[in-house]
Amino acid sequence: MPETRVKLTTNNRPIGRVLLACMVLGFASLIAAGFAAAWLTGQNQEHTRWVNHTYEVELAIAQASIAIEQGETPRRGYLITRSPIYLATYRANRAKQPEILARVARLTADNPAQRANYAKLTMLVADLQRQRDLTVSLVEQGRGREAIAEFFTETGARRMNKIRAVARQMADAERRLLTIRDADQTRSLRAFYIVLGIAGLILLFVAVLSVMTVMRYTRDLTRSRDSLNTLNETLEEQVIERTKDLSLANDEIQRFAYIVSHDLRSPLVNVMGFTAELAATVTPLEELLARAEEIAPDIVTEEARLAVREDLPEAVGFIRTSTQKMDRLINAILKLSREGRRVITPEPLDIAELVGTIKGSMQHIIDERGASVSVAGTIPTLTSDRLAIEQILSNLIENATKYLKPGRPGVITVTGVEERGRVLLSVADNGRGIDIRDHSRVFDLFRRSGTQDQPGEGIGLAHVRALAYRLGGTIDVASELGEGATFRLNLPKILTTQDLKA
Amino acid sequence: MTEHQTVGIVMIEDDEGHARLIEKNIRRAGISNGIRHFTDGGTALDFLFNAPDGPALNGPALILLDLNLPDMSGTDILGKIKAEGSPLRRTPVVVLTTTDDKIEIQRCYDLGCNVYITKPVNYESFATAIRQLGLFLSVIQVPEIEA
Repeated sequence: MPETRVKLTTNNRPIGRVLLACMVLGFASLIAAGFAAAWLTGQNQEHTRWVNHTYEVELAIAQASIAIEQGETPRRGYLITRSPIYLATYRANRAKQPEILARVARLTADNPAQRANYAKLTMLVADLQRQRDLTVSLVEQGRGREAIAEFFTETGARRMNKIRAVARQMADAERRLLTIRDADQTRSLRAFYIVLGIAGLILLFVAVLSVMTVMRYTRDLTRSRDSLNTLNETLEEQVIERTKDLSLANDEIQRFAYIVSHDLRSPLVNVMGFTAELAATVTPLEELLARAEEIAPDIVTEEARLAVREDLPEAVGFIRTSTQKMDRLINAILKLSREGRRVITPEPLDIAELVGTIKGSMQHIIDERGASVSVAGTIPTLTSDRLAIEQILSNLIENATKYLKPGRPGVITVTGVEERGRVLLSVADNGRGIDIRDHSRVFDLFRRSGTQDQPGEGIGLAHVRALAYRLGGTIDVASELGEGATFRLNLPKILTTQDLKA
Repeated sequence: MTEHQTVGIVMIEDDEGHARLIEKNIRRAGISNGIRHFTDGGTALDFLFNAPDGPALNGPALILLDLNLPDMSGTDILGKIKAEGSPLRRTPVVVLTTTDDKIEIQRCYDLGCNVYITKPVNYESFATAIRQLGLFLSVIQVPEIEA
């Protein structure tokens, strides 16, 4: 017969694990890249701030230079025109200067070189300012001539050049700084872009891996599902096939049992028949012996008397009992084989009611043996063959009342539960129990267990098992010696005619 | 059987013991017709159809047939006897066998068997059954053979 074995794929686990490890690694790298990018962004901001700072410094220096230069124009105007407008402009400009210079000082406070330059600058500016103030105040006092003479003698232009040089120096220094800081900024920006690029690559890698993993698992799942489907589809066929085989084998056994029992019966008819004939001959012989004893006692030997009166009836008796036993055994086999041929007709059964009927039919035996039979809880309904179930249960209950533990009143309980389309019926007693070694043996034909103090041929449980099989069920026993026994019957909840052999 | 001496009983039974017990009990019922006993189907058929003193050529008969024979099935013999055109098709056949299989019984009646008796294993019943058969044989009419 065709065998269908479908293996579920489990061999790609190492690959899956590697894939998973790669994914974890990818995600870890991605997180690291994120941190790096954040850090680099911080760096970049810092650099930008410094570049801006440099620009600010440059601007401040330029403003200072302009302010200083601008101071000269109103002074000269005032010197020449003595117009108070120039004086006001000069004063306003002068008042602005300290603030502008202070700003340069503030911005360059972190740079020692610039500080030195700044000191030089302030000194020069202070010098220049003193000279300017002097000329302006001379004009104010009406000493214009003196002021102009002073103007001529002063070294204003030189001093101004010096200031310009220092300012230029400072601006140059800042420009150098700017170049460096620009480079720094560019570098950090480049690093940022590199990190960003790497992160992008990792992201791509992880994405590809993820897609691969998902696809792989999906494929595995699909394959598993397909395998399961195939298995499911063929399962029914396999079951049908097996059932067919089983029922064929069963038929074979039934036929065998039937033929054997018939063929055994045939010689048995002879044995029993001729034994009866033999027994019938005893009567005329007995009469003959009696007459011989009466008419001619001398011809009657002790041997003849024993033969006719004892040996012959004894032999016939033994042959009779043995053949009768053999007849019972053969009939048991026949009954079993006939049971296998009986047409099973499933119908809904109320087990509790059935147990009640059985109880009623054997009430006298139950009372006589001092037992009680009860149904515990509700028993699920069952669709099966009434006669077969009745025979099974009555056999089990009868057995339970038969093998009680002396001195303990028998309590027999029938229970039932439903479990995944099957009904488990239990017949439990508190009797003498069955040795674990005999648990499977008790279901064999002509086999019995424990003390042989009860009449019986060892047929009941064999019959029960044959019936259980016939109904698509199984039976087993849970028991310990002296502790009672529980016979558990597992039957399909709904027996359909398809379950039975065709 | 009104013409006692002319109706022969043909017994086809492979078991000598059974044959003997059957004969004894038929005799006990007061039947004195001649009984021809065959233990296999081939010889029995040969006698039935071809023997000069056999029923086909020489007078009416009654057949006691066992189904379990060594060389052929009893139903085959029954089929041949009851076949269309057989000179013995009206000859009463009593199937006397151990088989009590329903289907087998049906088949025998379908083939035209006149009586089907299952041999009881218990000898008391066996003896009673055969004696009753004997009583039955003593009252039935057997048709003439059409040559």
